Amino acid sequence: MTSIISNKPLNKSLNQYSLWKYWVLIVTLVILFFSALPSWYGEDAAVQLITKKPNTLSSEQVYQVLNNAGIKSKRIEQQQQNVLVVFAQAEQQNLAKNILSKSFSDTAQVTLALYPAAPNWLLDMGFAPIKLGLDLRGGVQFLLDVDLGLVFQNQAVMVSDSVKQFVREEHINGVRVRQGIGAEVHIETSQQAHKGQIRQFLSQQYPLWQVSGQQDTLSVVLSDDEQLKLTNLTVQQNLQIMRSRIEELGITEALVQRQGENRIRIELPGVQDPATAKNVIGATASLAFYPVAETGSVNALVLKDELNKPVYVSRRPVLSGEHIVDARAAVGDFGMSKVNISLDATGGKLMSEFSRDNIGKPMATAYSEYSRNDKGQAQQVTKIISVATIQSQLGSKFEITGAGSHQEAQQLALLLRAGSMTAPVTIVEERTIGPSLGAENIANGFAALALGMAVTLLFMACWYRRLGWVANVALVANMVMLFGLLALIPGAVLTLPGIAGLVLTVGMAVDTNVLIFERIKDKLAEGRSFASAIDVGFDSAFSTIIDANFTTMITAVVLFSIGNGPIQGFALTLGLGLLTSMFTGIFASRAIINLVYGRDTRRAIKV
Amino acid sequence: MNSKTMNDSSQGLGYLTKWRYASSLISIVLMLLSLTVIGVKGFNWGLDFTGGVVTEIQIDKRISASEIQPLMTAAYQQEVSVISASEPGRWVLRYANIADENQRPHLQTVLAPLNSDITVLNSSIVGPQVGQELVEQGGLALLVAMLCIMGYLSYRFEWRLASGALFALVHDVVFVLAFFALSQMEFNLTVLAAILAILGYSLNDSIIIADRVREQLIAKPQWNITDINNLAVKSTFSRTMVTSGTTLLTVVALWMMGGTPLEGFSIAMFIGILTGTWSSVSVGATLPEFLGLKAEHYVIAPLPDTP
Repeated sequence: MTSIISNKPLNKSLNQYSLWKYWVLIVTLVILFFSALPSWYGEDAAVQLITKKPNTLSSEQVYQVLNNAGIKSKRIEQQQQNVLVVFAQAEQQNLAKNILSKSFSDTAQVTLALYPAAPNWLLDMGFAPIKLGLDLRGGVQFLLDVDLGLVFQNQAVMVSDSVKQFVREEHINGVRVRQGIGAEVHIETSQQAHKGQIRQFLSQQYPLWQVSGQQDTLSVVLSDDEQLKLTNLTVQQNLQIMRSRIEELGITEALVQRQGENRIRIELPGVQDPATAKNVIGATASLAFYPVAETGSVNALVLKDELNKPVYVSRRPVLSGEHIVDARAAVGDFGMSKVNISLDATGGKLMSEFSRDNIGKPMATAYSEYSRNDKGQAQQVTKIISVATIQSQLGSKFEITGAGSHQEAQQLALLLRAGSMTAPVTIVEERTIGPSLGAENIANGFAALALGMAVTLLFMACWYRRLGWVANVALVANMVMLFGLLALIPGAVLTLPGIAGLVLTVGMAVDTNVLIFERIKDKLAEGRSFASAIDVGFDSAFSTIIDANFTTMITAVVLFSIGNGPIQGFALTLGLGLLTSMFTGIFASRAIINLVYGRDTRRAIKV
Repeated sequence: MNSKTMNDSSQGLGYLTKWRYASSLISIVLMLLSLTVIGVKGFNWGLDFTGGVVTEIQIDKRISASEIQPLMTAAYQQEVSVISASEPGRWVLRYANIADENQRPHLQTVLAPLNSDITVLNSSIVGPQVGQELVEQGGLALLVAMLCIMGYLSYRFEWRLASGALFALVHDVVFVLAFFALSQMEFNLTVLAAILAILGYSLNDSIIIADRVREQLIAKPQWNITDINNLAVKSTFSRTMVTSGTTLLTVVALWMMGGTPLEGFSIAMFIGILTGTWSSVSVGATLPEFLGLKAEHYVIAPLPDTP
């Protein structure tokens, strides 16, 4: 075993770290300490007023309103476009939001917010508190399923319709077109020549579709690449829609992100009543304008109106909801509610061309909503909300009436504004964590952390008397670093399982030191001096430490990449904890030991 | 330490051999029993995996489960499980979801006859397809983690040595699973996370012993493997005890203070660490011996120290 020493260059003096290593250590620790500090102060409940025009709202006005209502604020800050009100008591937040949104409904949008309670000099340095997960903060979480089946089906309908039309126009007989599952169309024909014609038509019109032939059947399938692209686009669009809808709800710190292939996870911290949020998130609506066809027409689509009367409309809408850029509820003549709609350029052109040719004829507005039936399948319910006669050529701005009460008109406008839904979205998971439970989880988690920490510190101090305090300093440094990193890493969220990971880290982190100390003990027993035992002990324990931590690192990485919210929190603290414990256990404790015991040449010392 | 031991390599550690063999036998018997228990009883899958509704409510402390149960059963027309939570007056209600939102009875209305303030502390509704996906994902996570660990072990250690650690690992996971099958405690996502963490931790001890075995095999090629194993177990024993001890202490802290949400996690970790320590000094260390591990397997220069 003496071979290990001979590997070292002889001129290197024993147990000495160069100055720069101490600098690295100290700078790292100081930065992470400051980064961890704001989390100690926590966050205050706040309300943010975002004014529609700059400088139209002063903090005095806000103070006046709150004061009249008997709500005390900790402070009110005014910036160009917004006013921030921070409360000392969290319960006042919701109350204040209601009062403020009533008073300033014309000038500002009122949203709930959280504001770090740390002193400003700390925040000015760019440090922020650790972001807490919903299980610690309270709030509502939804998991949405974007049903791509219908999207693909719509694509297939488009292709089969145009094939049918082509066949009709070209007078090709004996062709049957039927839809397969998803983006798939089967065309049956016995004539080889017809097959060629249809193939040519398809490759010209729909180059992204793959055509394969089997005897009498042509199968047309959207290519895998294109299906993936369509999936991504649809989910992205839905993400966008969800973000803007949630913005409308007035929650600033909401999290909307994609999960897996076709899921969207929405976290709404601070929301206590899921019903309101659900109505806005869960509803998927789209609007389309149809030319009204003759009653009884064979080639028409039959839709029901409010009173369940059938309305015959053309199969092809004039334009659909994706061209809508803005929609606002307003009160029209005779106190009737209406929705003002603005279209984009393409939509405006389509509408103006259509209305020019059809003045005096009726146009129907169809409103589609998606819901999920008992079997969990998405279904589309379309109803006609208005049939109006086109009075004049319409431009890119027009209005529709007949949406019901003013409140319903507002709801419709909100849904339309958020855009058109090309894929139905349904809520497949819903979790509500009451605010008191969130606070309780934090208290429990940190009580466990404190107890675990105290017991471990005590144990190490008693077990390794002479070196125990070094391990304890390393452990405390480890915790500071962990909290600092959690606050520093963008996107890192602390969850309840995450706290469990912290507690486990406390127990496991000392392992690095234990391994080293046991080796040092061994070497001392072999009759080495303390200083030389330290040197050899650290060296021989190193590869074991790496080995032992590596496997846990593997599970942490797997958990992080496969798990969801809370479990990812666990994987994060577990993995980061391993890294910091190696840093403090090997590097920091060596630095301390070198300084204190590095020159100790006594033999037969008890550790 | 050197010249004397050349003749008698057992160093008076012969008693350890007997102990290791006996404990290995116990481990294997217990493992077979555990597998049977899992097969017979199955798991009490949590909401995360089955889908459904779980609501935690706070009501008057004097109201008992037998008063809540009939009201819930009547309103939801199914067996509703009413379990007492950590504190008096807190109940966890679990039932299958009613898909149509309009037909879903409102909890406050259902429990109105109890004449108590009802606070909903948290509620989760999980769709059936989400649960199914989680089962698949969880299984995949276990599998991927196992494969990665196997890959690492076979790269780092000779296969005989690696198989000991791997067997110990399977042993620990099976044991924890058997506990959850036997006690019918809820098997939820945090328990799954704990099991994955056990995968990592259980290996810690085994790897550290295996590291020692490898080191000694290289340093003392003329020793027989039984004695090397004994020495490796003995010389790492105090480390094994200290680390397992501190980890157990913190897990107990979590168990005591962490509250209901972390209960399953803490219990799983607690058992996992106990069996992890046990298996690493028993089967983990003994199996390579039976597979015929010899010093010759490490005659060639070992792999570089950093992976």
